[in-house]
This record gives sequence, structure tokens and C-alpha cells, in this order.
Amino acid sequence: MTRDRDSIIAAMTEELTPVRGFRYGDGVILVSFALFLSVLGVAYVNGLWSGIVKVEAAPFFWITNGLLLLLGLASASAAIAAASPYVGNRHDAPRWATAMVGVLPLAALISLLPDGHGMAIVEDPVGIHCFTHALATSSFTGAALILWLRRGAPVSLNLAGWHAGLAAGALGAVAYGLSCPLNAVTHLGVWHVLPVALAAVIGRLAVPRLVSW
Amino acid sequence: MIAEEATLARLMAAAQEGDKPAYNVLLSEAGMWLERYFRRRVPPHQLDDLVQDVLLALHHKRATYDVTRPFLPWLAAIARYRWVDHLRKVYKHESGQLEDNDAFEDSHEDVVEARVSLERLFVHLPESQVEAIELVKIEGLSIKEASERTGQSESLVKVNIHRGLKKLSALVEKAD
Repeated sequence: MTRDRDSIIAAMTEELTPVRGFRYGDGVILVSFALFLSVLGVAYVNGLWSGIVKVEAAPFFWITNGLLLLLGLASASAAIAAASPYVGNRHDAPRWATAMVGVLPLAALISLLPDGHGMAIVEDPVGIHCFTHALATSSFTGAALILWLRRGAPVSLNLAGWHAGLAAGALGAVAYGLSCPLNAVTHLGVWHVLPVALAAVIGRLAVPRLVSW
Repeated sequence: MIAEEATLARLMAAAQEGDKPAYNVLLSEAGMWLERYFRRRVPPHQLDDLVQDVLLALHHKRATYDVTRPFLPWLAAIARYRWVDHLRKVYKHESGQLEDNDAFEDSHEDVVEARVSLERLFVHLPESQVEAIELVKIEGLSIKEASERTGQSESLVKVNIHRGLKKLSALVEKAD
């Protein structure tokens, strides 16, 4: 061992202070709090849809938001775990959950094929409103995950970016979805899923630069 | 004598609680383990710099260790991350000779070490990319020399290095 290394080890030992070790549960609490704030924000800005508690929502409402919630949880779980590096970490769940959510826009498109009304999706009068509001709502969870990853030591930066973006987008879409009274396949399958895709791309491009160390 | 996994994990847990003597032992043992880990993939004159770099990373990121999991896969993930970063930054036109012995093949190779080794990363790269990275980034040849040695054009050597390093950085946590 070199003298340099000896002196570095001595210096690091001298300045050692107790630290709170990595706890997955801390990340879960942080993301849960961010999701809670997201719902509060949506309730304040848009108001929550009363049809949910009155059981007026169509089955597709529950299917869409259920799948988005699963994708959000799977991706958030992977992003939280990424803060603690480990050779042998596997992150397959978000991939499968993404594939499942990918069925929703396909279902929306296929449902319009028989009538040849594909443009109806683009002409949805509130589509852009839902898209932008869901994307804005995703910023709560996104910020929490970036904060978490910056405190950690992610070593698979691109993957952490994808997962943080997917989690933020999906949980943001679910939180915003609590305010949207539209149950149509063509509306939910497109305008509530597109923000997730865009958030994932933003996460992939922006997060690695923000959390590299 | 390199300490075993269970001992290192116990020392790290104690270090997180502020136990200085345990931390001192841990850093010394981790330093020796890292020397063996990098020996075949870093020229000797750059080995100590890289080991110190990883020890500093260990120090700054010690809170990210999860005491419920083994220590060496955590250390190896950080080591791989710093190693890829190191390959990106240095070695251009520097010469250096690698030691012939393979740290894990020559020693008693246990399951953990085999799973976290640097060799595992290269298995996932095409031979042309491995060759370009080894010659230029590890052995220190110039692009021109590597081109002559491999028969690849100079631009292809550069492309293979770029693609190979990008792929390596995506494989840092891969164990099989």
C-alpha cells in the first residue's frame, strides 16, 4: 500500500461521522409524500371528480388508472433502489408494466378503425388540457426522485433516468386522472398515456445529468 | 489476507455508525481488494490512482450502502462505475504494461468475486469493441497504432471505443 493511500485513509477515518444508511423505506415515504402533494395540487387546481366515489366511472377508467398506477409503482420502486448501487440489481418490472400500459393507446386506435375516425383523437377538445395538466402534475414525483437519486449513488444513470421519468409521468397521470370525468377509451388511452411517454423521455435526457457523481 | 464478505459487511455497518477503528480497517481491506479487482484492467502506474478514487467515492457515498445486503457487490458497482469513468478520461497515448496475472483466476475465486468481476462486463461486448478499448484505453496505444494492430480503420476504432464505453456504462450493475 502506498504512503498516499495511507494518508488518504487516515484523513477519511479522521473525518468519519455517523450516517443514516440506505433505507428503501425512506424513498417510499418520500415518493408517497410527493404523490400526496400531487393529489392535493390536482384537487386545488381542478377539483376531484365526484363520480369516482359515486361509482359512476366506467370500467376503462379503472383499467387505465390501475395500469398507470402499477407502472408508476414499479418504476418508482426501481428508481428508489437505484440510489444504492449493487452488482446484480435487476429492474425488469418497469419494462413489463410499460408494455402493459402500451396496450392502452393501441386499444384506443383500434377502437376507432371501423369508423375511420382516427382524427377524433386529435380533435378531442380537452385532450391537450389533460395532457399538459398530467405532465405538470408529474413534476412533484419527478422532483422527489431526482432529490433522492442525488443523495444516492446511482451507477446506471440512463436506466435511473428512464425509471424516474416513467414513475413521475405515470403517478402524475394517476393523480391528475382523479379529476378527469371522461371515461372514453380514446381519451384515456391517448391523452392520459402520452404524458407518461413524454415524461419518460424527459427523464432519460435530463436525470442522468442531474444525478451523476 | 483479504477479509471475507461477512467481515467487510460488519465493518461497513459499524462505519455507518461512526466507528473509526472499524472504518480504518475497512478502508485498508477495501483498498487491497480493489487492487486485485483492477489489476488486469488497469496499467500498474495508474492502479493506485483508481483505487484511491474508488475509496474516496466509498467515503462520500457510504450512506448508500444497505446493511441488509452483501458489501462486495455494492463496492464492485462503485468500482465498475469509477473504472468506466476512468477509461473515458485517461490513458490516451500513455503506455503501460498490464500484469499478466488475472486477479480472480489466479486466486481462489469465490462466487461473489466471479459475479462482480470486470471480466463479466466484456463478455457482453462484441470482440471488435473489446479489442479497441483494451488496446487504446487500457494498454495505452494511439488510435493509429490500434488501427494497424487490429486491421480496423482509425474511425472504426474510435466508433468501437465510443460504443463500447457507452455499453459498459449501461452494464455496471449486471451480474451475469
